[in-house]
Amino acid sequence: MTVDLDKYLKPGKDHYIALGLEGSANKLGVGVIRHNQGQLTSSNRAEVLSNIRDTYIAPPGEGFLPRDTARHHRNWVVRVIKRALAVAKIKGTDIDVICFTQGPGMGSPLQSVVIAARTLAQLWKIPLMGVNHCVGHIEMGREITGADNPVVLYVSGGNTQVIAYSKQRYRIFGETLDIAIGNCLDRFARTLKIPNEPAPGYNIEQMAKKGKHLVNLPYTVKGMDLSMSGILANIDSIAKDMFGKQNKQLIDEETGEPITAEDLCFSLQEILFSMLVEITERALAHVNSNQVLIVGGVGSNQRLQEMMKLMIEDRKNGQIYATDERFCIDNGIMIAHAGLLSYRMGQVTDLDHTVCTQRFRTDEVFVEWRDD
Amino acid sequence: MTDKLPYKVTLSIPFETHEQATIAKNTLSPDPIVKSVDEFNIEYEINDNILQILFSGASNRIIRVTISNTIDNLKTILECIDEFEGKQDHLFEIDGEKFTG
Repeated sequence: MTVDLDKYLKPGKDHYIALGLEGSANKLGVGVIRHNQGQLTSSNRAEVLSNIRDTYIAPPGEGFLPRDTARHHRNWVVRVIKRALAVAKIKGTDIDVICFTQGPGMGSPLQSVVIAARTLAQLWKIPLMGVNHCVGHIEMGREITGADNPVVLYVSGGNTQVIAYSKQRYRIFGETLDIAIGNCLDRFARTLKIPNEPAPGYNIEQMAKKGKHLVNLPYTVKGMDLSMSGILANIDSIAKDMFGKQNKQLIDEETGEPITAEDLCFSLQEILFSMLVEITERALAHVNSNQVLIVGGVGSNQRLQEMMKLMIEDRKNGQIYATDERFCIDNGIMIAHAGLLSYRMGQVTDLDHTVCTQRFRTDEVFVEWRDD
Repeated sequence: MTDKLPYKVTLSIPFETHEQATIAKNTLSPDPIVKSVDEFNIEYEINDNILQILFSGASNRIIRVTISNTIDNLKTILECIDEFEGKQDHLFEIDGEKFTG
């Protein structure tokens, strides 16, 4: 049985248009999406009309703080909305619903964006729809790649989860017990004082490509969950020994060659990604699936995709799905897409219920638009 | 309760129309500002085109923080009104603004 997605289509129209606003971390994204009536299938894909983003970049050695990030979002939100509307070539009257990220994320950046969403919704008399950020990633990943029922690995600066769909919920199979994987990589980038532009994780990835020697680090998978703060503390102390006052030279045991910063980046990635591959593989076995979808900012890491591919190719009919940085990294279009799916089921969020929340579990969302 | 909240400030913000003031109030009022009612209270009133926000708190510090936050939010609301009010039939054009992506 399939869900009827067109019960709430406006009379005389054959499509829907949604505006999506995302600002849960340091990216401010606004996107416009169009769904034609009927089921979303390979011949009736959602159409991305615009996808505009502006990123707040903190100086090297520093992370982005909530206050500064919120200020950035407030400064830019109206301009980014205008550009998204201009590129999409749509008018306010074309929009069915305004979607915004309701959580999880950093409190004050989220709040600074919802203010614009609420004002615009009232000015143009358009309903609002609050969206769970993680569900936004999952639905956009499914739509772009065409993966119908994958195990989802959601890896970003704030989240690390292995998710599988069952009975109208995205259920969390395994997750981090402390810090997110992107947070771990970003913080190590800060230790090394490498730039945050375009993204700290991206710079780590480029350095890791030049690394050859594997430095011994703890491996901390705990059942289906993982822990990364201990690994970070460990590699941070190695880096401090090497580049601090002591200036200690580390030697690779096998080759006798000196250990470099590139080797540290390489080792950190290898250990962290191996842990992710392990829990993802176990989740696949649990739900008897052979598809993996990688979403979230860290999902754009080529090495992670490659390691996951090696694992999945050993499984029968195994397939890996990943998107590029337009959709992997936080963006407004995924919020528009997931919000529009809810809207097509007749859901809207009243003004009084648009309060954003820092904690919003993936499995709290009732996935009404799926029925498989 | 008012005895416990001795610090009080009222902001009066004149808008162009009653409708604008109402939109601003509806945009600001859903967000809880402080967790504890014992420490802080906020009330919104509309008189014609004027939005009055009454802050009362247990310390002047808490009043400063919340007023600062409210004014930041009002800036976004005003910018939205300036740029979008009455323009739902308008096609926006691509301007010279550069985004970092």
